[in-house]
Amino acid sequence: MNLPDAAIARLRGLGDRPDFGGTRYDLLDEIGRGGMGIVFRARDRDLGRDVAVKVTMWQTESDAARLRREARTLASLEHPGIVPVHEAGRLPDGRVFLVMGLARGERLDRHATRLPLADRLRVFDRICDTVAFAHARGVIHRDLKPANIMVGAFGQVLILDWGLAAPHAGSEMTAGGTEGYMAPEQSTQQPNARADVHALGAILRDLIDVAEGAAPAFRPLRSIVARATSTDPGARYADAAELAADVRRFTDGRAVAAHRETTFERAGRLARVYRTPIALVLTYLAVRALLLFWF
Amino acid sequence: MSKPMLGLVLGGVLGVLDGLSALVSAPDDPAVKAGIVGIVIGSTVKGLITGVLIGWFARRTQSLGIAIVFGLAVGLALAYLVCVMQKMAGQPPYYWQIMLPGGILGVIVGYATFNFRRGALASA
Amino acid sequence: MTFPATRHSVVRDLGSVDPGTRAAAYDGLVRSYWRPVYLYIRMRWRRSVEDAQDLTQEFFARAFEREYLEHYDPAKARFRTFVRTCLDGFLANHDKAAARLKRGGGFVVTPVDFARADADLAARAPGDQSDPELWFHREWIRGLFGDAIEALRIRADAGGHASAFALFRRYDVDEAGDTPRLTYAALAQESGVSVATVTNELAWARRTFREIVLERLRTICASDEEFRAEARDLLGVDAP
Repeated sequence: MNLPDAAIARLRGLGDRPDFGGTRYDLLDEIGRGGMGIVFRARDRDLGRDVAVKVTMWQTESDAARLRREARTLASLEHPGIVPVHEAGRLPDGRVFLVMGLARGERLDRHATRLPLADRLRVFDRICDTVAFAHARGVIHRDLKPANIMVGAFGQVLILDWGLAAPHAGSEMTAGGTEGYMAPEQSTQQPNARADVHALGAILRDLIDVAEGAAPAFRPLRSIVARATSTDPGARYADAAELAADVRRFTDGRAVAAHRETTFERAGRLARVYRTPIALVLTYLAVRALLLFWF
Repeated sequence: MSKPMLGLVLGGVLGVLDGLSALVSAPDDPAVKAGIVGIVIGSTVKGLITGVLIGWFARRTQSLGIAIVFGLAVGLALAYLVCVMQKMAGQPPYYWQIMLPGGILGVIVGYATFNFRRGALASA
Repeated sequence: MTFPATRHSVVRDLGSVDPGTRAAAYDGLVRSYWRPVYLYIRMRWRRSVEDAQDLTQEFFARAFEREYLEHYDPAKARFRTFVRTCLDGFLANHDKAAARLKRGGGFVVTPVDFARADADLAARAPGDQSDPELWFHREWIRGLFGDAIEALRIRADAGGHASAFALFRRYDVDEAGDTPRLTYAALAQESGVSVATVTNELAWARRTFREIVLERLRTICASDEEFRAEARDLLGVDAP
């Protein structure tokens, strides 16, 4: 039979395209897929809005249990930086689905390339704020990475993919996480907030340009990254709030906890913080000197 | 401490220092040496008035630029008054030596009072 | 999802000592690969219809005689990549002077419909031909899916699911590229059935189509690993 390319593409998608025919959602297109499920953009006909629908790959009970757990986790975390969950259920073919708010914006790694360092650190502060909120409610993300963070047009942050999220204590160890961001102890020990701190430190490392990172003025920032990404969990910040506080100290021109300043570094920092008043005083003195010699 | 109070303190301190600097800028002038106490008192009073005026204004503006310009204007104006008083007293008015530093000190007080309790000075 | 119970593999049977098994394996191989091989020779090597037909038959005959497909090593590449590589080598070295093939004994000529393949080719707009591997793969999929749809029709007719096949054909094949998409409601009205019936029938047809595709795929993969990789690539299905 003569199968056109469009038919081939559709038939290939049948392996994972969920059947929402009897529901109020019209599937539009696929927007991403991970180990556990596929995320589609869909139209909610009743409310007239686009939503994100996550569906398990196939109807295995372990995948269904994980998606249900993600739904409950998201439902317990109401925060502007965490994608809201609208509905969860089971499709006619047995697969579990989760309907969430559609994240609009740009992935962090793409968005950050256009920003100066100060703005990147502001975005990072919002990310830490969101994660700190989750930590305060006893939830760890466990798969923080730039691909799971969206930044909106106004700099608002949305953290996605809480599929691996777990409570601080009492959860089973599940393999997961992404190399380069995942804490080394993540697959062998009970997860805690320091695992997310490791991932946040890796994200901060990515946000700092190589050129910026080499500058002496940013040594404290490198120290923050080093502490957050330490292979020893005990050496890291206890949680995202503590990490965010230290980064804020850096942006405010104060001494950071992760870095022991030399006298020279301290003098340099104070000179940068108070550069304008210092310049004004020097100008005054220069004018005085000028007047002394000219008049 | 309020902004006018900071202006008062800073203006006063800078006024004292500015007054004493007359000894440096005119080390060989006997009139300066003889009248240094009066110069310092006058400079301090000028600084106090400048400081409180700028501090009061800094409360009412959201613009650093405007605060600085106001400080410069007040500093220059009061320094000019001093020169006029000098002239009226039969002394040569040191316009440059008094107004230029006076204007800069006005800028310093304007900057400092504007940023006081606004957050990091690092965000200059 | 249960995967096909039959685990026989055409690729494994190519090396069988039993001539009958070996011949049957080649028959299976030809059924799965003649179309992409023929179209590949036509489009990538720019051969005429007549030349391409002869070369296609000669390729499989030589492969059977000289047993070079039996030397496939799964560790090095997927089987379809190996077939394409052998084909490229065969065509590059082919001696035009020895134009007409001399077929050895034991090779069973599998009936293939070259005319149909040419008609299908003529009916389609030319696609991207810059990557031969992608092109061969796409034709291989086209052949596999085409055969699977035909097998689905036969199974649907035999099992009293003819309406399911009709809905599947309408919604997932004929209307595949249309925008806006036909809705279940419109399809239900068109067919004179309820939306729930459309949902159930489509679910049956899609499930069965996937099963058939996986069954066919299984027979032309050399190993379980290759089968899983091909299944994931083709349908996004994770084999257990």
